[in-house]
Amino acid sequence: MSSSTTMRPSPIDSFPTPTSSAQAETEKILLEHLPVGDNTAAPTLQKNAHMQYLIRNIVQGFPARYTSQDASQPWLMFWTLQAFSVLQVGLDPGNKQKAVETIMAWQHPEGGFGGGPHQAAHLLPTYAAVCALAIAGKPGEGGGWDQIDRKKMYKFFMSLKQPDGSFLVAHHSEVDVRGIYCLLVTATLLDIITSELVEGTASFIASLQTYEGGFSSASQPYYTPSSSAGGPSILLETPRPPLGEAHGGYTFCALASWVMLLPFLPSSSSASQPKINKNSLLRWLVQMQGVPAELGGFKGRTNKLVDGCYSWWVGGAFALLESIGINPAAVVPGAGAPTAEKQDGDDWDDIDDSLMNRKALQEYILFAGQHPAGGLRDKPPKHADAYHTLSCLAGLSSAQHKVFPSPARRKELLDSWQATANSTNEDGLRKRVFTDALCYTEEEGTETIVGGAPNRVNATHPLFNLTITHTEGMMAHFYKQTVPPRVFKRATAGKP
Amino acid sequence: MIPDPPPVPYSTRSEWADVVPIPQYEKANPLAPILYSEEYKDATDYFRAVVKAGEKSERVLQLTEHVIRLNPAHYSAWQYRYETVVDIQWPLESEIALMDELADRYLKTYQVWHHRRLILVLSKKAKEELAFIAKILQKDEKNYHTWAHRQWVPRVLQRGRVRGTTVSLSSSNQGVREGEEDRQRVVRRELIYTKQNISLAPNNASAWNYLRGVLDFNKLPLSTVTTFVKPYTVPLPEHLMDLVDVENPPPGKGAELPCAAAIEFLADVYEEEAQKESIDKAVALWKSLAEEHDTIRKKYWEYRIQQALLLL
Repeated sequence: MSSSTTMRPSPIDSFPTPTSSAQAETEKILLEHLPVGDNTAAPTLQKNAHMQYLIRNIVQGFPARYTSQDASQPWLMFWTLQAFSVLQVGLDPGNKQKAVETIMAWQHPEGGFGGGPHQAAHLLPTYAAVCALAIAGKPGEGGGWDQIDRKKMYKFFMSLKQPDGSFLVAHHSEVDVRGIYCLLVTATLLDIITSELVEGTASFIASLQTYEGGFSSASQPYYTPSSSAGGPSILLETPRPPLGEAHGGYTFCALASWVMLLPFLPSSSSASQPKINKNSLLRWLVQMQGVPAELGGFKGRTNKLVDGCYSWWVGGAFALLESIGINPAAVVPGAGAPTAEKQDGDDWDDIDDSLMNRKALQEYILFAGQHPAGGLRDKPPKHADAYHTLSCLAGLSSAQHKVFPSPARRKELLDSWQATANSTNEDGLRKRVFTDALCYTEEEGTETIVGGAPNRVNATHPLFNLTITHTEGMMAHFYKQTVPPRVFKRATAGKP
Repeated sequence: MIPDPPPVPYSTRSEWADVVPIPQYEKANPLAPILYSEEYKDATDYFRAVVKAGEKSERVLQLTEHVIRLNPAHYSAWQYRYETVVDIQWPLESEIALMDELADRYLKTYQVWHHRRLILVLSKKAKEELAFIAKILQKDEKNYHTWAHRQWVPRVLQRGRVRGTTVSLSSSNQGVREGEEDRQRVVRRELIYTKQNISLAPNNASAWNYLRGVLDFNKLPLSTVTTFVKPYTVPLPEHLMDLVDVENPPPGKGAELPCAAAIEFLADVYEEEAQKESIDKAVALWKSLAEEHDTIRKKYWEYRIQQALLLL
């Protein structure tokens, strides 16, 4: 930890509340996880311990307390497989095959995937299953990819559509922006996203932004106009009031959804064009980063505690800002006023134009996020679990790498696009979706790795939380495209 | 507390003898399995069987309740339970009574709240709903679902006003609705309420966000509250003034000042003016945040400086 940071506890203003007590207790525990005295050794990512943890879960199985995740089996699989990918570890062919067979047992006969065999189809496990297949599957017989019933999945998606542009997460279930994010990722990866599917969805997403700048889980679609509760429900005009508070997970899902919907927004600046407040969103995102006494981890709501999982939901959201036009690097150098004198250990300051504190986030994950017995966690003294293991690793990845929508890469993709026989408007949209999704590229020379090269993890795709290689593999297959090779400085796929 | 005795497995109950349980995986060897308890395995094997047979009955309600108590996030059990409630015209009051208990027990589960909504829409009875919410909030005053539910209820189930039942909240994110009439009075009241709360604990970020929210929603400039904000951007004076100004409550005795939220607010006021001199003042405030008062966000404050200078 650089000695320049002040570890002042969060001020209480002599007005203690349950919130301030929990905050103080958390800060006390977090500070105990910093090296003491003259020990300024860089923190180490305990890759081997985390790998052993993941292997234990996948081979021996998850302990009984994971019964609460019985309806999230695809998530357990995705969290585990993607954590391997971030750690630069590939699965052997035998386990890949076993993974594919397990995942395919979750496909619902009427389309989509359920949380386990014989469970109802649901948008959240559908994302997790398809992304797990992007990692473990392949084309052809038994490879999983060609056994996804995309026609029925599309029908399932359409059957969940609501008049306000949102989607239920499952039949008779709630509307939740996480479900919409999952639907859009799946539809984008599998080449089943259409204007029909996403009509009105951008307006719904815009409705979720609260006065704080972040996004909530849903908005209020209807009201009952008569004073008796039995009156008919009428669709409210847009923008509709949000239901719930700005929240890290929902904000990531809303922002990523918004970015995936950009090809479908009308280009005119008409009054009916849905809009989001980009400045208040940026302000909210940066405000979620904890102060030095919280080791720079992220929280998910104002006045809540830092939690390792927001390393990805909030930390990972920063990589999407350039896609909505927030780009500090675009400002002419020298136009800004440099502030503090350069401090020791801040030698990457020049190349780092990220709006979050990348170094502090890495320190939170490395010092506080790692469980000594392997796996990663919310915060000490909590146990590790599958969800926090991936969220922390993916957050670490987003703090190490700068992945951005590269105009050069976009041009390569556009140039190599193979149009279908009859070029329709929808085909133009397909091309835009494909190039928008796959132009994300790691910027050379912008890695900032606390603890140096041994702590390096793979870059992840900021929209999907898959490696760029896995994203390209799956999308090239479903869009029937040949993706031009990338020139990498380093290999991205290591071997165990 | 005495633990409940283990329930009799469905496989040994005569009243379930007509049902053939369905194991989860036909192929024995899934990757990354969950090591379930025997009770859970037994109950879900029978749940799969009734779903496959399409049975809707009172015993299905008992079975789904059992599965839900073992795993309240089992959305398929909730979904099937709802269909069964509708199909057999199960008394909705008893379903709500069960939901009162389950919401209390599994507060953080999405399905607990959604099922409740489905039943409320069917029963159209929401009279006691706000009282129930107030009670549940006392257990966990930051529960996301409870607040979202509270925002949903008045619009859908009853028109007009929701008063009273306010709960003390450290994240003061839920304004009380009073309809469209008398907006100015409501705005003034909300501003005074928020300022008073800021004066109690100036470093409470929620209150500052709400202050911004009230102004923005009503299209009022940030400068509306400049007089109030300024004392919070400087160290606390040794001798507090003994002035009572309801519109501009001063920082309390224990305030730790200056606070970053106030400095940021004042910088935004200056940026709003968009004049050379005011931008200079804003830049100086952002610099003080980057270098001293809020160093973790140094990059952001530098970005704000860059953006503001582009305005000129």
